[in-house]
Amino acid sequence: MDNVKSNQKRIHPIRFLKSRKGQRASIIILFLLVPMTLLITFTYLPFEKMIEFSFYKMKYLGRRTPVGFKNYIDVFKREDCFRALYLSLYYMGASLIQLVLALYFATILSFKVKGGKFFKGAIFFPYLICGIAVGFIFKFFFTRGFVLDTVLQAVGFDLDSLPRWLSDTRINNISLAATSVWRYMGQNMVLFIGAIMSVDSEMYEAAELDGASKWQEFKYIILPSIRTVVLLNLILSISGSLSAFEPSYVITGGTAETATYFVTMHVLAHNTKKVGLASAMAIVLMGIIILVTVAQKLIFHFIFDNDSDISKGTRKRMNRYLKKQEGGNTYE
Amino acid sequence: MKRKLISIALVFVLCFSLAACGSKKDNKDTSVDANKENTQTPTKEPEATKAESEAANDETPDYSMTLDQIELGKYTDITATIKFATHRTDLVDNGRFAEYVAEFNKVYPNIKVEYEGITDYKETMDIRLTQKDWGTMCMIPTSIDKVDLGTYFEPIGSYDVLKDIYNFCDDKAFDNVVYGLSSTGNAQGIVYNKKVFEAAGITSLPKTPDEFLDCLQKIKDTGAAEDPYYSNYKDDWAISQWNAHIGGSTNGDPEYYNNILPYQKNPFGPTDDFTGAYSAYYLIYNIAARGLCEEDPVTTDWEGCKGRINRGEIGVMAMGSWAVTQFQQADSNPQDIGYMPFPLTINGKQYASAGADYCYGININADEVTKFAAKIYTKWLVEQSNFSYNEGGIPILKTGAYPEVLNAFSGVEFIVNNPAAAGEEDTFNAINAESEMNINVDGKKAQYVFWEGFKASKGESAKTLEELMAEFNEAWSDAQASLGIEVKY
Amino acid sequence: MSNRKRRKHYSVKQCIISFLKYFSLIFITFWMLLPIVSCVITAFKSTQEYNQTSVATLPKNWFYIENFVTAWTKGNMGRAFLNSMIILVFVLMGSILIGTMLAYILNRFKFLGNGLIRNLFLFAALIPGVAVQVTVFSIMTSLNLVNTLVGYMILLMGTDVISIYVFLQFFENISVSLDESAIVDGASYYTVFFRILLPLLKPAIVTCMILKGVSTYNEYYMANLYLQSEKLKVVSSSLYTFTGPFGNQYNFICAGVIITVLPALIVFITCQNKIYNGLTQGAVKG
Repeated sequence: MDNVKSNQKRIHPIRFLKSRKGQRASIIILFLLVPMTLLITFTYLPFEKMIEFSFYKMKYLGRRTPVGFKNYIDVFKREDCFRALYLSLYYMGASLIQLVLALYFATILSFKVKGGKFFKGAIFFPYLICGIAVGFIFKFFFTRGFVLDTVLQAVGFDLDSLPRWLSDTRINNISLAATSVWRYMGQNMVLFIGAIMSVDSEMYEAAELDGASKWQEFKYIILPSIRTVVLLNLILSISGSLSAFEPSYVITGGTAETATYFVTMHVLAHNTKKVGLASAMAIVLMGIIILVTVAQKLIFHFIFDNDSDISKGTRKRMNRYLKKQEGGNTYE
Repeated sequence: MKRKLISIALVFVLCFSLAACGSKKDNKDTSVDANKENTQTPTKEPEATKAESEAANDETPDYSMTLDQIELGKYTDITATIKFATHRTDLVDNGRFAEYVAEFNKVYPNIKVEYEGITDYKETMDIRLTQKDWGTMCMIPTSIDKVDLGTYFEPIGSYDVLKDIYNFCDDKAFDNVVYGLSSTGNAQGIVYNKKVFEAAGITSLPKTPDEFLDCLQKIKDTGAAEDPYYSNYKDDWAISQWNAHIGGSTNGDPEYYNNILPYQKNPFGPTDDFTGAYSAYYLIYNIAARGLCEEDPVTTDWEGCKGRINRGEIGVMAMGSWAVTQFQQADSNPQDIGYMPFPLTINGKQYASAGADYCYGININADEVTKFAAKIYTKWLVEQSNFSYNEGGIPILKTGAYPEVLNAFSGVEFIVNNPAAAGEEDTFNAINAESEMNINVDGKKAQYVFWEGFKASKGESAKTLEELMAEFNEAWSDAQASLGIEVKY
Repeated sequence: MSNRKRRKHYSVKQCIISFLKYFSLIFITFWMLLPIVSCVITAFKSTQEYNQTSVATLPKNWFYIENFVTAWTKGNMGRAFLNSMIILVFVLMGSILIGTMLAYILNRFKFLGNGLIRNLFLFAALIPGVAVQVTVFSIMTSLNLVNTLVGYMILLMGTDVISIYVFLQFFENISVSLDESAIVDGASYYTVFFRILLPLLKPAIVTCMILKGVSTYNEYYMANLYLQSEKLKVVSSSLYTFTGPFGNQYNFICAGVIITVLPALIVFITCQNKIYNGLTQGAVKG
């Protein structure tokens, strides 16, 4: 952006304005002005400040003293930070289960199923519920003697043999991770259905004629066509697991050893007021996420060669849209 | 062509307006700073302004008057709006605050007071205070260092003068300047249900930690209450009530909290005679470890427990005296709620920590008239509203009456922590934050101790109380080392 | 003979498959709906009924709306819905305008810094949002934007990276020859953008409206932080605040939850397919 501005000064103003080039520069500046201002003010300025904070011992209010890399060293030395990272394994496990379930139901629901629309809607709907509401719903769900216990008792479990879903450290993180499966599985499923639907239906007919089994169909037709979407979601959900926040924050408030990395950080910043340390934690987490993302991309790149079926599918669909648009005459 | 010109013009206009915005802000900042200096000076010489203010009286009072100079009942034509942020959402919701305001408006009809109850008070206020116009009055957040009080709050008088009139005024005082008075004084003890104790066959109140645990065990064994003890584990502020005993209740020394603890080696014990913080943690840990608490601590319900202790479903809770009236009013058995001192006897005597609750603070950035109105309101709240008495607290005005609740404390000595030595006002806060013990700031450590005990009761691998105390001692020592605090005791 | 046997075998297998298929569907749907349905049941119980009956007992009176009334008034939901609507309208308009403009520039113009700007946005998606709130807050404060609807809306618009990607992706599929021919005819870049490209972007705009709409309506962390004044509460944050005094009185809380979920449900039922399509479009951004 700055480069464009300085170019502008060297040229004679009136001639410049007349030219196509001038118009070009003006629209570039004008259209970039707002998004770039917002990006810089609300993302990069805070980011830069966060880096700065991470080298200080400071609170929200009051004075600050520079401490060099001490905050970073502390992040790696602290037991709670380490534990919190370990907790994200629960969420990673959950997101794997979530992907598998989503894939399974997407495969079923992509074909003709009685009441398919209802099932699809029911599985998807939790995605649209606000995080706070999800928190309340599951606090209610897991409370001793309430929803979950009642249902399990109805199928023959004894209340005394049931664990306390949120208080028992052997199970409470699984309970919390399950809520995120509940919430996001439908969204993954809808994405997968979209990808499966983009496969030409003639392929299935051909496969059926050849006497292929359902499993073969899944393996040779469906899976390759949605590989990219699945991988993308895998990457997203693993980095998402590292920064899991909502279930623990909203349902247990991070008590009973459920504090994830983000919740630990939130508590350090807001309760203990170690803003510098919390900033360092954030940056360490970001580093880890970047590393993990890059590593995954490399691994997938290595395993699968890079022809992307999905972009073909997308392109096809988009072209279809465009044709529709043109047909509808949008050039008023 | 025209369009091109316009767009370029637009860009320039935008650039200029952005630049203008920036400079306007700068101006504002400097003017506020100037104000700050102005307002801080007058309090240093209260004597000089006194005469003037008396002369001025009803016409235009001197807005910089300190609290001791303000005479309630005068300056009734002051017109202002006070926006008051409070943590007492319950009193906002049930209209009690509105009643106080109505009472106040009988004398000062032109001062409007608007209360705003904030659910996550501590967190919200810290963030809100970074903004200059956060409102007019609030309950000063405990996280603010004394040295920074003057940055945010209006001075209301000098410590030397106010300390003879009000209790607990050192709580928000720095460098002989007082920035806020407490809303009420808390005596720290333990709330219990008398009927439950009776039913469990407990005839005399426990005076040592082990007697206390025995009582709870009896309640459990006799089934006198569903939960012998209710931890409120989920709400860290609620379980943090144990912290308050770390001052006076557990050692009987007013010097301890501010002048010994920060300089002490291994303050968390274990101690043989249970003195010091150890007794509080000993109780928390063992209540949980012996299964004397509720079964599902993660879903505890603060609002619900008020009625439950009133009905005798809960035997005991550790809470400040402020909670007693709330428990009494929660259901139909107010007479059953009793209050007892912390179960620890030191040389044959029991003690109770007493101290300030949240203190009223006035925004230093408010305009002069509003600040003056806020000072009047503060004085009225402390002296004439009866707030402290109604809340079952120790009066703030030295001449005020003690509520009945505290009758059970006859023979128990109240310990009010002495202020820290000059120049060391923030030492305690510094080490408290650095070590992350956060005593009287939050309840994370109490939660932690409780949780390890709870796991032990379930047969899961858990840390022992000794291990926990060693951990705390180490954190304390590390903080002393990194802050350069000399270990003296 | 062998032929018949095989057919029979085949149909049994199909039966089992079909049974498993429906069983698994019903099973998962049960767990998906159970938390919500139990909330609905509880929301219709009076406090006494709630205290005395099991969670599985149906309410005596399905027209007991007292809880909803309490939740509505205590949570100041009327005001909250109004605020949420205002925010939704402006944020959607703003972020769509911003996103399309930016994508247009980045896709159609080659200039120095184009790649840099793309990378800036890519990298921004990696910065953990909740973590930078500490510093975002101080910036919002110095701009005097805390406790204003405008500030909150600007913040939501400014931190929207996903729609930019959707638009960028979409632009790639719109032929440049379209712009070129218009420009040859004498149209300015602005005309090309507003008159020709923007209408073509309609499917992408719908996608972004859905993605952004859901996240805006459900956002509560920043709403709690930046909209503290009673008058500025949005739906999600007032649900959070009003429940404080109710502790574990789930009959009230569930009523509040249902109130906040209901608009989402209505929107979902009325434009299900649009939402599915929108999501699918949005997902291919990578």
